[in-house]
Amino acid sequence: MPRSRPLWRLAAHAILFVAALVMVVPLVWIVLTAFKERNEVFSLVPQWLPAHPTFNNFLGVLDAMPFWRYYWNTLVVAFGILAVQLVTITLAAYAFARMEFPGRDALFILLLVQLMIAPQSTVIQNYLTVTSLGLLDTKLAIMAPYLASAFGTFLLRQTFKGIPRELEEAAALDGCGGFRFLFHVAIPLALPGYLAFGLVSLTYHWNEFFWPLVVTETTNARTLTLGLGIFAQTAEGSADWTMLMAMTLMVIAVPLVLFLVFQKRFINSFMQSGLGG
Amino acid sequence: MPDQTHGSGAGSASTWEKGRARRRALALARPYLYILPTFFFLFVFTHWPILRTFYVSFFKWNMASPRMEFVGFANYAQARSAPLFWEVLRNNIVFAIGTVPLTLALALALALLINQKLRGLAIYRALLFYPTMIPMAAAAMIWLWILTPNYGLLNFYGKWLGLPDIHWLGHSKLALWALVLVGVWKRVGYYMVIYLAGLQVIPDYLHEAAIIEGANPWQRFWRVTFPLLSPTTFFVGLMAVIDSFQAIDQVYLMTGGGPGNATNLFIFYIYQNAFRFFDMGYGSAVSAILFLILLGLTVLAFRTLHRRVHYAA
Repeated sequence: MPRSRPLWRLAAHAILFVAALVMVVPLVWIVLTAFKERNEVFSLVPQWLPAHPTFNNFLGVLDAMPFWRYYWNTLVVAFGILAVQLVTITLAAYAFARMEFPGRDALFILLLVQLMIAPQSTVIQNYLTVTSLGLLDTKLAIMAPYLASAFGTFLLRQTFKGIPRELEEAAALDGCGGFRFLFHVAIPLALPGYLAFGLVSLTYHWNEFFWPLVVTETTNARTLTLGLGIFAQTAEGSADWTMLMAMTLMVIAVPLVLFLVFQKRFINSFMQSGLGG
Repeated sequence: MPDQTHGSGAGSASTWEKGRARRRALALARPYLYILPTFFFLFVFTHWPILRTFYVSFFKWNMASPRMEFVGFANYAQARSAPLFWEVLRNNIVFAIGTVPLTLALALALALLINQKLRGLAIYRALLFYPTMIPMAAAAMIWLWILTPNYGLLNFYGKWLGLPDIHWLGHSKLALWALVLVGVWKRVGYYMVIYLAGLQVIPDYLHEAAIIEGANPWQRFWRVTFPLLSPTTFFVGLMAVIDSFQAIDQVYLMTGGGPGNATNLFIFYIYQNAFRFFDMGYGSAVSAILFLILLGLTVLAFRTLHRRVHYAA
């Protein structure tokens, strides 16, 4: 892009500043609300700063629900899905990128079906499947539909395809063929792709709400977003904005801080997700 | 495959043959073994459910009893004659029309601004993008609080501008637009980033050539940038439309489909029928209709792509 004139730059700053402000005000507002005393929010003029900053709302959340259990469940689900996905997508991407076999193109289209269909439209049947497998109300039920990833396979396949044949032949001559080539050459070369996929996958499953809602019945397997949603619909939660905002903040805090620290990595990963999907 | 030497002993000719046959079979099977785990999960949780959605949609089946009764197209006929089905469809179309063009236009405008070499760019980008990172459930809570009557932030400043106190989510005409607002807020940063990726592959010399030709910024945008972004707009638009037909979290948490059924969208309607009324047959029929609508949109979009979009990204 060519360098633009100062006046135009000033206008660009002004518009971006307003846009960024509109985006960030809701976040600032809930952070401030979370530190207020319960009755302070029922004021007819906006009070931005808490009059008597308090941590009681956060402590109240820990009393009102098994918050750490939700946290643990969320971690297990998000990282569990990713761990299995890394195995399935590596093997499939490697086969599709570097092996010739009958039916390969047809199978690849069958894989891409997962990218093209709306996952929510198969929720009923997937519910019936996990029920008949006896998995209802387990963390495995939440994880099951995501253990294969067309997006991840597609992303890695692109990287694996880019590795020159000569490199593979040279490695084979040095006794580094097959599996060893995969582990010592292909995977290390694809690390940026793995990182991008991993960040998108973790974010998606940390945030997911509807599928876990359908397949869980108790706090046994429920994740953070569900804990938040259920708390909001109890009498206690729906009447107490300060506690609800404290919990919202507790749910988003860690991913948000990680995002702010590794901003560029996250944004680049999501960029690739758009190009792949 | 590296060829290894085997069976140097005199009596091992036949075992050598057997080993070779086994290795050849293994070499043939190897790609299939590699894709097996993926296709196992894909079949169980993607292909099979699609087929089964259509199958179950021809039955009357209450989850409470195991009995399934074949009823042909009765579930589809039920949808056709149910006013609520049409209301849900209309709601979802309004939601898509409200969300998608606005989100895309804002995303593109912001991407163009961010793509200048401005100071503080990283901060702007982070503040515009962060709603993508947080769960829709959290966004729903934030906006519930902002939209709440009397004490909500929006009403404070609405009153300040002379607007009456509005109960956004309790109003049958406004509630859907409140969901549109949340949808735009949540997604605009993501689509901005996708547009940024599209902008960055447009070569500089095209802009420079346009400048030499005397094109002003407005002409440069419509004659150079926008046409070159058409593949991006196409994919982003398709993704956004499909996304708007999948919206459920905000409906479930912010309005429960109400007031009345003013914000009842497709997935919520399916959820109600399948998991509240346990009518799996009808729920499957509506799922099948949704599936066909989205498939139709995808096919239509790809055909348009072939005809209209001449620039490969």
